[in-house]
Amino acid sequence: MSGDLSSQFTEVVKNAYAAEQGLVICGHGSKGAWLPEIDLNNTQRLDVTRHSGIQAYQPEELVITARAGTALDEINRVLAAEDQMLACDPPRFQSVKADVMVGDNAGGTLGGVVATGLSGPGRPWSGAVRDAILGVELVNGKGEYLKFGGQVMKNVAGYDVSRLQAGAWGNLGVLASISIRVHPRWQEQVTLVFQMSAEQAQKKCLRLAQQNLPLQGTCWQGGVLYLRLAGHASGVAGAKLALGGETMQQTVDGSFWSDLRDHRVDFFQPKDDVQKIWRLVVPSAAPLPGAWLSSEDLLIEWGGGLRWLRHADEAAVKAHAKSVGGWCWAKGEQMPIDAVQGRYMNELKRAFDPKNIFRSAMSLQHAD
Amino acid sequence: MLHNPSMNSNTKNHAMVLQQLQSLLPSECLITDGPGLRPYETDGLTVIREMPWVVVLPETESQVVAIMRICREQGVSVIARGAGTGLSGGARPHNDGVVLGLSKMNKILHIDVDNRVARVQPGVRNLAISQAAQPHGMYYAPDPSSQIACSIGGNVAENAGGVHCLKYGLTVHNVLGVRVLTSDGDVMEIGGALYDNPGLDMLALLCGSEGMLGIVTEVTVALLPEPEKKSVILAGFRQVTDAGNAVASIIGAGIIPAGMEMMDKLAVEAAEQFAHAGYPLDAAAILIIELDGAAAELDAVTHQVIGHLQACGAYQIDQADDAQTQARLWKGRKSAFPAVGRLSPDYICMDGTIPRHKLAQVLTQIDTLSKAYDLAVANVFHAADGNLHPLILFDANVPGQTDHAMAMGSEILRCCVAAGGTVTGEHGVGVEKLDTMCVQFTAEELDQFFRIKDAMDPSGILNPGKGIPTLTRCGELGGMHVHKGRLPFPELERF
Ligand SMILES: Cc1cc2nc3c(=O)[nH]c(=O)nc-3n(C[C@H](O)[C@H](O)[C@H](O)COP(=O)(O)OP(=O)(O)OC[C@H]3O[C@@H](n4cnc5c(N)ncnc54)[C@H](O)[C@@H]3O)c2cc1C
Repeated sequence: MSGDLSSQFTEVVKNAYAAEQGLVICGHGSKGAWLPEIDLNNTQRLDVTRHSGIQAYQPEELVITARAGTALDEINRVLAAEDQMLACDPPRFQSVKADVMVGDNAGGTLGGVVATGLSGPGRPWSGAVRDAILGVELVNGKGEYLKFGGQVMKNVAGYDVSRLQAGAWGNLGVLASISIRVHPRWQEQVTLVFQMSAEQAQKKCLRLAQQNLPLQGTCWQGGVLYLRLAGHASGVAGAKLALGGETMQQTVDGSFWSDLRDHRVDFFQPKDDVQKIWRLVVPSAAPLPGAWLSSEDLLIEWGGGLRWLRHADEAAVKAHAKSVGGWCWAKGEQMPIDAVQGRYMNELKRAFDPKNIFRSAMSLQHAD
Repeated sequence: MLHNPSMNSNTKNHAMVLQQLQSLLPSECLITDGPGLRPYETDGLTVIREMPWVVVLPETESQVVAIMRICREQGVSVIARGAGTGLSGGARPHNDGVVLGLSKMNKILHIDVDNRVARVQPGVRNLAISQAAQPHGMYYAPDPSSQIACSIGGNVAENAGGVHCLKYGLTVHNVLGVRVLTSDGDVMEIGGALYDNPGLDMLALLCGSEGMLGIVTEVTVALLPEPEKKSVILAGFRQVTDAGNAVASIIGAGIIPAGMEMMDKLAVEAAEQFAHAGYPLDAAAILIIELDGAAAELDAVTHQVIGHLQACGAYQIDQADDAQTQARLWKGRKSAFPAVGRLSPDYICMDGTIPRHKLAQVLTQIDTLSKAYDLAVANVFHAADGNLHPLILFDANVPGQTDHAMAMGSEILRCCVAAGGTVTGEHGVGVEKLDTMCVQFTAEELDQFFRIKDAMDPSGILNPGKGIPTLTRCGELGGMHVHKGRLPFPELERF
């Protein structure tokens, strides 16, 4: 089922605005586990999944425009048929309501990809979701249907409202339509495997980052460094020769990076009830956690810039993140928001949603 | 010339502001005399001028903070200025405002080799960053043609592009962090050597905000390793449409060139006279294509691209592997603006961006407009990302011709919007495109922009009157965007 429900959305928001009733924007619910649950008191659900369908796609324009409820799986399929892929590498999580949501309906919507702005293993090389966004149409908190950006590669007319939607978790409006950049599919992908410690892996990744290599992912875990080389076949072949290491079997390779991206690997299952999964974004060269963290509870991506920790001691993780100039976020909890920045973020929310109709899971209040 | 003489300036506050600025800043950081002020009366959009009454050139962030406090308390506006190369009048003075020049804040604070970032002050020139990174084998990717002069702060404020955008992105894709001062006096450090940040993406919002939301006092940019090898190809076509088709065909084949520029006959003639780059003078259009990457890959892709060019009817193809010939092939393109400047006393540069498959259509429309207005147009543009730079040639000394040229420019931008594009790809709205913004956006959308401005700059002192046209202005123009047949704000008086 697909169709244009945009006028229905504006009606719903207008009514909610008039009645000062909260709206909870729902897609597939595949990323619901990332932030605390929303207080549903005096709220209404706004299901956007039936507002779906691809609106424009000309492969040589390197952009696809689709309604926000379109399944990520569908977008990926349509692009693959033209030997293309999304320019960013967003994760596809499984809906927490797996019993009711299956297949295409469980792996997230395009709107959800944008609203959460989460990035997969390719982030340092192929960019984040915000980098790929070219335009959005949205319904703001007053029920106005607005268009920003467009389908062209460059656009500086007015403030960049489109990119501001990435990672806004629905605070600013109901995304209705999204234009996002696509990229030619890699001709070749190879994964190289090296046995080494986290410290050695970090050094190696920093060194490789200084070179011109078709690197599209790094992962260190459990004493093994995995490097994904991807792109033009001859470039990948040349890099493979230069770097050495063992080559991962093709069959395994296919799913290794998507399993990692989508958190299907074991690491992301906490070992006990008190452990949390922490996401640390830090400078790539930042010191690794000390002896307080067992190395089996560490997974490193993004050439060192993203570190996943399993740990129970909140204070230790936070102190570490801060000391190395980064930030951390425990899955299922609020993100840290700086006091001053939080004030401006709240003002921005008010600019879009003056009556706080959109009840987002992401709080913009100051939190450490 | 569109002179805009200072009117009813707020002289009492000015005296007070001046007194406070004098006690704050050393004398070399304050300009109040006529000749000293002259360079600041315009930016790169020289048809619009206004003499400022004061220019401040702070050397530290704390001076910027103090200047902002004085201006806020006295209700005087603040117009940030980098190098003044902007092409839309963004840094044009305001009769009531203080021009805040950031050129003295020009230190490269840190080249962080391991994290591949540079931390710099806003007045650092774009090219200076790449020069500082070069000993480490790295560079800063966005390279506007003005890169020897323009500042990184101005680049952030305009979200500047360059010839390598399709592959390497715009400023927004290469800036990882900023320190920014708001009009309320808050200094925020957003991002850093980090791949993402919690909460709303204010960094993205600040890129391209034209000095209207905050003053950038420090920038952290990403550095990339220099490409192993480059290949530059020059192709001549007898038909502009063939060149347009070649662009589509190359990108359609999954090749993302590092740069792909197009020039039409008039631009080629001008550039050739100026730079002797060896461009074919009988071509209706030429393409200059740069490919980069690992050596093995590059040879294969170069071969592929040449195949596409031939299939699309290129009658002359030159390919260069050596740096010297490459520099020659680029030289004509890089000097195209000054070269065209020699053809005519004045020109204005448009910046519309369109979907690539509309290239031929819009170029034909521009040609028709050129005949109708009897003004020559030279086209030099970033073909890879559909960003057109039609240069309209005119003579400002002929009465009425400046307005005539501006009117023609607006019509070109309307064609770009109608083709599904935008009025500005990389030069910004400034004061120049305020009217055409009315064509691209509805009243509700403009109002949303104003509410964003209020959120970040509640006192409204940052670069007022730029970037976003007021609803009254659009209403008066009569060119207001009409959405679904409804006139927005029917209660507004129209004439
Ligand atoms: C020959 C020529 C070629 C050009 N080629 C290109 C090109 O290829 N691509 C491209 O994108 N542009 C190009 N430009 C336009 C121009 O160089 C860019 O827009 C550049 O980013 C402006 O930088 P600037 O330092 O000169 O800024 P200015 O012109 O001084 O200011 C531009 C805007 O930025 C604001 N601003 C400046 N500094 C700050 C700060 N620190 N904090 C907040 N706001 C600030 C100003 O208020 C103003 O609104 C070209 C210009 C010329 C003259």
